[in-house]
Amino acid sequence: MENTVIDAHNISKTYDPTGIPVPAIRNVHMHIAKGEFVALVGPSGSGKTTLLNMIGGLDHPDSGNIIVNGTDITSMQSADLVKFRLHNIGFVFQAFNLIPVLTAKENAEFIMLLQNENKAKRNERIDLLFNQVGLIDKKNIRPAQLSGGQQQRVAVVRALASKPQFVLADEPTANLDSAAAFNLLDMMAKLNKEENMTFIFSTHDQRVIERARRVITLVDGQIVSDTTAHAQLK
Amino acid sequence: MIVRLAWRNIWRNKMRSLVIIASVTAGLFAGMAIMALYKGMMKSRIRTVIDTETGHIQLHAKGFMGDLDPKLFIQGDKKMMATLSADKTIKSFAQRTITAGMVSTPNGSSGVSIIGISSSEEINVSGLGKKMREGKMDWPPKKRGILMGKKLAKKLKLAVGEKVVVTMTDTADNLISAAYRIQGIYQSANAPLDEVNVYIHRKDLQEMLGLGNQVHEMAVVLQDDTLLQHTVQRLANQFPSLAVESWKELSPETSLMAETVDTLSYIILVIILVALSFGIMNTMMMSILERRHEIGMMMALGMGRLPLLMLIMTETFFLTVTGIPIALAIGTITIEHYAKKGMDLSGMGKEMMESFGFETMIYPDFPSDKIGFIVLLVLATALVSSIIPILKSLRMDPVSALQK
Repeated sequence: MENTVIDAHNISKTYDPTGIPVPAIRNVHMHIAKGEFVALVGPSGSGKTTLLNMIGGLDHPDSGNIIVNGTDITSMQSADLVKFRLHNIGFVFQAFNLIPVLTAKENAEFIMLLQNENKAKRNERIDLLFNQVGLIDKKNIRPAQLSGGQQQRVAVVRALASKPQFVLADEPTANLDSAAAFNLLDMMAKLNKEENMTFIFSTHDQRVIERARRVITLVDGQIVSDTTAHAQLK
Repeated sequence: MIVRLAWRNIWRNKMRSLVIIASVTAGLFAGMAIMALYKGMMKSRIRTVIDTETGHIQLHAKGFMGDLDPKLFIQGDKKMMATLSADKTIKSFAQRTITAGMVSTPNGSSGVSIIGISSSEEINVSGLGKKMREGKMDWPPKKRGILMGKKLAKKLKLAVGEKVVVTMTDTADNLISAAYRIQGIYQSANAPLDEVNVYIHRKDLQEMLGLGNQVHEMAVVLQDDTLLQHTVQRLANQFPSLAVESWKELSPETSLMAETVDTLSYIILVIILVALSFGIMNTMMMSILERRHEIGMMMALGMGRLPLLMLIMTETFFLTVTGIPIALAIGTITIEHYAKKGMDLSGMGKEMMESFGFETMIYPDFPSDKIGFIVLLVLATALVSSIIPILKSLRMDPVSALQK
């Protein structure tokens, strides 16, 4: 497919922490196109996080290939993967993971600084995104002074700031109350539309699943369904 | 960003960082104080050697210093006097007649160096008059008078006014003796010398030894310490038949001590810094383990090994060097205070210090010439302390670090 951002071929991963092999992902095939808004769902232990980690270049599959934007990341060395992640992938974590000693703006521009982006470009991009997520007036305060929902929005801004190929979000609403979770999803959907940004997020929250356009269900490390949802996004 | 993040990171746990910064400050201050004290002690010791023992330079007949043979004398003629007097680098000089001998009393006897001096010259060279503790240095003495060190007087149980018999060998190898009355008892900063040096009138000694105007030693004091090497060289050229030696050769133990004290103070400073490095390392390790999740997140976002290494190293650097200006400020104020007021160490063992030739009132000297090296040592400490924390953080796997 021309617009394919992620192409996973027959990937498998088995963990063996105690000498007893535990298959986490089994023969998964997955294609994700540019601009998709995908929910990766399944019960705990179904392999959602493992799959996201492998797509994000944080973990290697035991077999199979993952092609991101035409590049096979499964054969990359650790240092190359770091660079690849820096320039191609945005991450949003369940626990927000903002650096507490930096302000919201400094957190958001962290990746751009690692990319050696100049100040003018950084400011322009960060201000635009903070406006989009409605936090422009809070950009100079530290995470501890923000609510959980606001912190997660800053994390989304950080993920998007460097204009990655796609954003991976692992249970982004797990630590949020309903209102904050819906606000975050609305915002992500809006950015998905406005920036044509691909979002892939893992969740087992039914409220979130209902808002996804495409839902991939994992059970015991295997994709058991891959459907285009009919939810109407705001 | 790295610098800003590192600086803010060290203040996450204020108390822990303050304890480490205070330890570095205290350690550095202690190192500087030791260096200043040693430098002050050595300066004082060298001053004592130059001002009261040897002068800057001494001239002798070659071979005289070996066994003080009275036949190895210097002519001390007018030409030589004129040369030394005309030398603008020379502040003053004294002619001395010296021989080995024995001082005897009914209580016992002791081997001594008998030094014949002229009061007017000696005041400017050794300041002997200022060291008198009992009696006076009225020179020339009315009767046969002798000046004796306090330690020798104590050993022979002598007091001012008591008689002693001085025995020596003259230039014709005859054993001669003469009775002297103790005119004064002196005490210098060098107790061992006080036990062996006795002073009589130079003319007396010259007569007893069968010398004319000849002397055995010419002690020279220069206008400035820095002129030493140059003047030694010049005098050696002017008087090729004589042995021209600086205080460093005349008192080699002092010269050696001055050199070893520098090394010793560096060793003490290094020991202090090594001990501190374990504290710094421990603090950094705790800090990294506490931020494991955050470091994993930064690695996941694309922070490479080099920026991570720079971050940890900068944090260690800040933790270590923040104490430097504080230690320098406290050190400067304290050392300058004692440099003016002096530090009385007599309570720590007056006799012991004097037995090594040290004054008990020490004026510490700020080791400004060593500050650059001290700062380098501290930076090296920061570098060494950061190695294990850096390795620990670089070995982190972002996936496992991100797991709770």
